[in-house]
Parts: sequence; structure tokens; C-alpha cells
Amino acid sequence: MKVFIQLHALLERISRIAVWIGGAALMICAFMVTGDVILRKFLSITMSGSDEISGYVFAAGTTWAYAFCLLHRSNVRIDALYNFLPTWTRAVLDAVGLLLLLGYMTYLTDKSIDVFVTSWQRDSVSITTLATPLWVPQLMWVAGLCWFVLTLSFLLVYVLVSLFLRDVVTVQKIAGAMSAEELLDEETHGMDTRRRGR
Amino acid sequence: MVQWIIIILLVLVLASIPVAAVLGVLSLALDEMYMNGRLSRAIGEFTWDKSKEYILVAIPMFILLGEIMLRAGIAKRMYNAVIEWLSWLPGGLMHANIGSCAIFAASSGSSVATAATVGTVAYPEMSKRSYNERLFLGSLAAGGTLGILIPPSINLIIYGLITDTSVPELYLAGIIPGIILSSLFMGAIVIACRARRPWGGEPVKTSWSKRIKVLPDLVPPILLFAVVVGSIYAGLATPTEAASVGVVFALGLAAWTRTLSVKMLKEAFEGTMRTTAMIMLIILAAVFLNFILGFMGVTQALLQFIADLGLTPTQTMILLIIFYLILGMFMETLSMLLTTVPIVFPIVVQMGFDPVWFGIMITVLMEAALITPPIGVNLYVVHGIRTGGGPFNDVAYGALPFVVMMIVMVALLLIFPQLALWLPTLVYH
Repeated sequence: MKVFIQLHALLERISRIAVWIGGAALMICAFMVTGDVILRKFLSITMSGSDEISGYVFAAGTTWAYAFCLLHRSNVRIDALYNFLPTWTRAVLDAVGLLLLLGYMTYLTDKSIDVFVTSWQRDSVSITTLATPLWVPQLMWVAGLCWFVLTLSFLLVYVLVSLFLRDVVTVQKIAGAMSAEELLDEETHGMDTRRRGR
Repeated sequence: MVQWIIIILLVLVLASIPVAAVLGVLSLALDEMYMNGRLSRAIGEFTWDKSKEYILVAIPMFILLGEIMLRAGIAKRMYNAVIEWLSWLPGGLMHANIGSCAIFAASSGSSVATAATVGTVAYPEMSKRSYNERLFLGSLAAGGTLGILIPPSINLIIYGLITDTSVPELYLAGIIPGIILSSLFMGAIVIACRARRPWGGEPVKTSWSKRIKVLPDLVPPILLFAVVVGSIYAGLATPTEAASVGVVFALGLAAWTRTLSVKMLKEAFEGTMRTTAMIMLIILAAVFLNFILGFMGVTQALLQFIADLGLTPTQTMILLIIFYLILGMFMETLSMLLTTVPIVFPIVVQMGFDPVWFGIMITVLMEAALITPPIGVNLYVVHGIRTGGGPFNDVAYGALPFVVMMIVMVALLLIFPQLALWLPTLVYH
């Protein structure tokens, strides 16, 4: 099991760095777009491109954040019934949920790779003044999707092995739906007034 | 066919399968069964087009804006300033809860963030001044819901995207109902504290000189609101541009309060990207399901069903409202919006209701969903703030008067649609 714990930590580490990069890139886009607005308003200069670039940054940043979201168990799940179920049933539902998500994401990623390959082969460019070679942003985007599928597959194996070893505590810890308490901790993490007694 | 789709959707959702997976797998399965998987082959191209859509960039920008504001240390000072101005009312600090939430909502697009931020600041004051705990907690949970009604609102952007409705118009439409709903909340507190005086806690001593002194603490959030929402209305910026300007402004503010640091930025990025990924995964799946359902003619089938019932548009709307109130007890709001609106919206428009008006109506209903048990995210958030512990029911009971006020708001919107439509009509038509 030690290998799983280490791999889990490694995936989390890489996903976290990806999220920092994505967030920083978005912040830079915010500055670019702000610059555009100011130039347009006060100097009547219309620059184009910042909208297109932010779109690409957003698309790629989002796919790279999926794995982070998954490892932090932040996927939206409805726990109206879940909370009343026995631990074992919950653990099985966690596994089924991962399996279905993996199925959907694998299909989506497969078709997205086609999109990238097509742009690459045809040298497609965007129909804007930037004329961006589309394969560049699409590669970043698809890579994020692949990373997510990889992380999902790992997590599913981890959960299945834990189930096999009758270790439901681990399943809950890595794939269970978040409790209200944990949700709040994630929401207020780093706030000015730290909650006392925790 | 329609009933099967709804049943499968409900079973999987209730089995706590991630909502994105439910929507995604359902679209693929429906396409496979009814159209031999023709549409799914285009899912890559479809998702790419939606993923880079410029209007959606507003979502991470608004989240980032909120994350920075959360860490810039303005919440506590703002709350203390609002206390000076609002606590003379019967119910004292609870009005400051609502007021601070309304102001914070005007710089944040999320209800959970609003409730968590104001709640964390307000909670220690509750026991100090011996307030009725239930009502106090309820006011925080309810006040927080204003986050999705008062612009900028992330939910309204999402509604705008899936229904092709103008986001600036939706933002304008949210202002008056937002103010009315805040006043209704305050009214509920006044009524409760008139009926039961001890609920209102110890009064706060204040003076005009103190009130003037704290005014500068209200400047940053109000200025931010002016920059973000003002630039949209003045026609200077699109929502995405306004959100970007807001991010830059918030960074400046954080630098000014000396809270800006690499560590703070990293935390803000993590929070932003986590929430963005969470939302986008569902949005993309929902938009694709929407596309599949459109091809399958589900809407026509439902329209026929409603026509057969022989209800008037108003009766149908009341039925829908009841449906949403009940569904909202059990479902998380974003999932509720994304799974139902694609089906409900065409019907509503067909019956002659205004898309902008319905956006506001459904937002108020989502606010109710946030504070109705057993599943109400804001109830959980506020319950989680209590360091002293206590039963969850306290928060749920405390929120009840505010749920009643939301239903009053729904009725007002139904009787006077102009409450939502007057401002957008004035500016855009």
C-alpha cells in the first residue's frame, strides 16, 4: 500500500503545480484584458487577441485542474442519501462513481485527441487576426484531459485495491464525498480571520 | 422516453455518482440508443468550442476575484463598519449580517463564499452579545444566498450561457430583487425580535462620529462593485472584461492592505482552479446533454405533455415553482440549474415568459434551495462555522423565516415582473 500512498502524493503534487501555473496564467490574462479595456476607452486603440488567448488559457487551465479537483474530492455529488448509507455501500458507490466518470472522460479524451491530431495534420489556424496554429492550445488542453484520465485510473485502482483489502477508511479518505466540515475548511482556507479551535 | 431519462438521472444522482459523470454517461447512452452514436463522435470538437468560450472566462475571473478579496482582509473591517450603520434596528447585529452579505455579494459571485466569509467574521459576536442562536445562524445562511442574486453572479452567467440570454441584462435584472430581498430578510428579523425581545441580543452603542469614522472601510467593496458592475452597464466592458478589471483592482487592494504574497496567491489560485474545474466539468457535460436532448425532441414531447394538461401559463409557472422548491430541498443548486433548465427553459419561453425574468425567478428559487433542509449547502457552511457545536436543526429552523421571505419574493416577482425587468428595459430597450 505504501506505493499507492506515495503515488497519490506525487499526483497531488504535480496537479497542484499545474493549478498554480493555470491560476497564474489566468491572472496574467486579467492584466492583458484590463490593458485592452483601458487602451480602448482612453486611447481608442483596439488591440485584439487578449480575448482569444484568455479563452485558450481558460480551456487548458481548466482541464489541468480537473485532477486537482478530483484528488481533493471536490467533484459535485449529491449526498442526500449517501450520508445515511452504511460505510460499505458508500465505498462501493465511490468506486462506481469513479468508474462512470472514467468511462465518460476516456471517451471525451479520445475524441479530443482526434481534434488535436486533425488540427496538427491540416495545420489549422484560428480565423482571427492572431491566426493561432490551433494545435498549440489544443495540445495543452488535451494534455490536461489525459492527465485527468491517468489520475482517475490510478484512483480507481487504488479504491478497488482498498476495497479488496476491506480498507473502507482509505476509500472514504481518497474518494468519499466531502462532509460539510471539510467543505467549509476548503472554502475558508487562508481567510483573514482564521476560525478558532480548529 | 422522457420519464425514463428523468428516472435514470434521479437514481444515479441520488446514488451520489458525480453529477458530471451522470450527465456525461447519460448523453452518450441516449445518443447510442436513439441516434446510433452519431452526435457523440463530435463531442471533442463540441467540448473544445465551449471550453474556450470568452463569456465563460468570466467564471474563473469572478472566482479569482472573490478568492483575493477573501484574503485581502477587508471582510472584518467591512462587517464592523456595517454594524455601526445597521445595528440600531431591532435585531442589531443580524442586520449587519444581512447588510454585509449584500455588500460582499456585490463583489463575489458565490453564495457559499459569501456565507463562509461573513459567517466566520460574525460568529464570535453572537455569543458575546447573547443573541438567539437559531435566528442569528439563519440570518447568516440566508444572507449568504444573496451572493447569487446580486451581481456579479456566477449562476447568472451559467444561466445566460445555457439559455442564450444576455448576462448584462440578467445582472441589471438582479439588482432590484436583490435589494428587495435583503429588505425582506431585515423585515423578518425586525418582526421576530419585536415578537420575542430577548432574541435581539444586547444593543450596540454607536454614535454618528463613529459611523463617519468607519466609512472608509466600506469604500473598497463599494468601489469594486462600481468598477465591475458599473463598467458592464456603462457599456465599457463585457462581463469577462469587467471581471478581469476586478481581479486587477482586487490585487491592488490586497497590495494596499499588505496581504499580497506569493503564498496568498498560490492559495487563491488553488481555490480558484478547484472551483472552476468543479463547475466546468458539469457545465460541459450539461451543455452536451442539452445538445443531445435538443436533437431527440424531448422538449417537444414535454410541451405536448403540458399542453395536454390544459394549464394556463401562470398555473404552469406555479407548478414549476413548487417543483423547484421541493427539488431544492434535495439537490445542490448548480446541478439543479444545469440538469433542469435545458428542459424547462424552452417550455417557459414558449408560454410567453421573459427569459431574463425567468433567470431571476430561478435564481431566487436556487437561493431557497441553498437554505432548505435536508440538503442546503449554506446551512452546512454556517453549521460548520459554529465552534461551540450544537444540533444541525438549529440552523435549519433559524433559516425558516427567511425561506418564507424568499417565497414572498417569488410571489412578488410573479405578480410584478417589472421588479426584474424594469432596469434592463430602461437601459437596453
